[in-house]
Amino acid sequence: MTDYWLSKLFFDLQDKTAAAEYRSERSKVLDRYPLLPEIRAAVLANDIAVLAPRVNAYLLRYYFQVVGMPDAEFIGRVRALKPAAQASATKRANG
Amino acid sequence: MAKFVGAFGASHGPLIAREWESMPEAPKKRLGKAFRELGRRLSAVRPDVLIEVSPDHWVNFFINNLPSVCIGVGEQHDGPPEPFLKDFARSLPGHPGLAMHIVTTALANDFEPSISHHLTLDHGFCIPLLRMELPQLPQIIPMVINDLEPPMPSIRRCLAWGRLLARAIASYPENLRVAILATGGLSHSIGEPTMGDIDEPFDRACIAAFTTGDDASVIDALEAGLKTTGNGGHEVRNWVVAHGAAGSRGFDLVDYFPVPEVYVGCAFAAWTVPDAVKAAA
Repeated sequence: MTDYWLSKLFFDLQDKTAAAEYRSERSKVLDRYPLLPEIRAAVLANDIAVLAPRVNAYLLRYYFQVVGMPDAEFIGRVRALKPAAQASATKRANG
Repeated sequence: MAKFVGAFGASHGPLIAREWESMPEAPKKRLGKAFRELGRRLSAVRPDVLIEVSPDHWVNFFINNLPSVCIGVGEQHDGPPEPFLKDFARSLPGHPGLAMHIVTTALANDFEPSISHHLTLDHGFCIPLLRMELPQLPQIIPMVINDLEPPMPSIRRCLAWGRLLARAIASYPENLRVAILATGGLSHSIGEPTMGDIDEPFDRACIAAFTTGDDASVIDALEAGLKTTGNGGHEVRNWVVAHGAAGSRGFDLVDYFPVPEVYVGCAFAAWTVPDAVKAAA
């Protein structure tokens, strides 16, 4: 299920000014988005398993680039998602 | 009247620009050669206007307003926002006359594209233009296909869009030479558990389908393959538009090889377009 506000956060952070603010004041930026508490916690914890099924995969990748996660680490973490998350992501990608 | 002079396809991927200098020599050399050969073929048909078919990578559109198809009708388009392409072009010229003619032809034929008078052309549009090393950029008409977020246009509809483009070009009264460049694909997987995988059987099936040219084969092969391949493979829809525009007569594969360094099964092709052959002779 797509989470609109999570997606909006990731989309907005493509702007370099917004991204810089986010890197320095993450909570302040998150306050502007009506995220469910468990989603906000997952964002703060970089919990890819929770976030991946709720947002477009390209936006997920952009987001982790914004927060400075190297590609190799991101790939390792996204590939390690358990089968349930993989099935969900595949379903999203293929409509 | 305008003349349809050629249809081409090329992969794209941010790392083909962002990591170009640090890329190992072998894939870099082969990618460069394939892009330049496609650029040579495109230049040989002397296009005044290039209809570029590519996705929008969350630059112009978001899920609050996400067109399946958008035609850029502006006089100018903004250049790529990606920092690694900042030296490419700040703006690219459009062709509002033909672009709007495509839109009105579409509407008259029961197609309903979105339009934009000012698009930003991201790496999907600009990396092929950069790497093809064209001596001069033609005027660009962007055609954005939603390849990123389900639900997406069907393969059948993309073929029909291609046919529609060919009719629109042929009915435009100005003496213009018009080519099509589809960008994206073939297989890749971004931000999902298969990220980094390249689905070579899917890529080979796409190439085989485009080579034979048969519409039913293209629809069957791609609709089946897209159910299991990585999300980036959906960009093959852009190639289907070019295939349809060229009349489904088959294509000449310039090169294909999996490039793990950029996460993409990279392909380069030129479709058989009889008028283009005459024009280039």
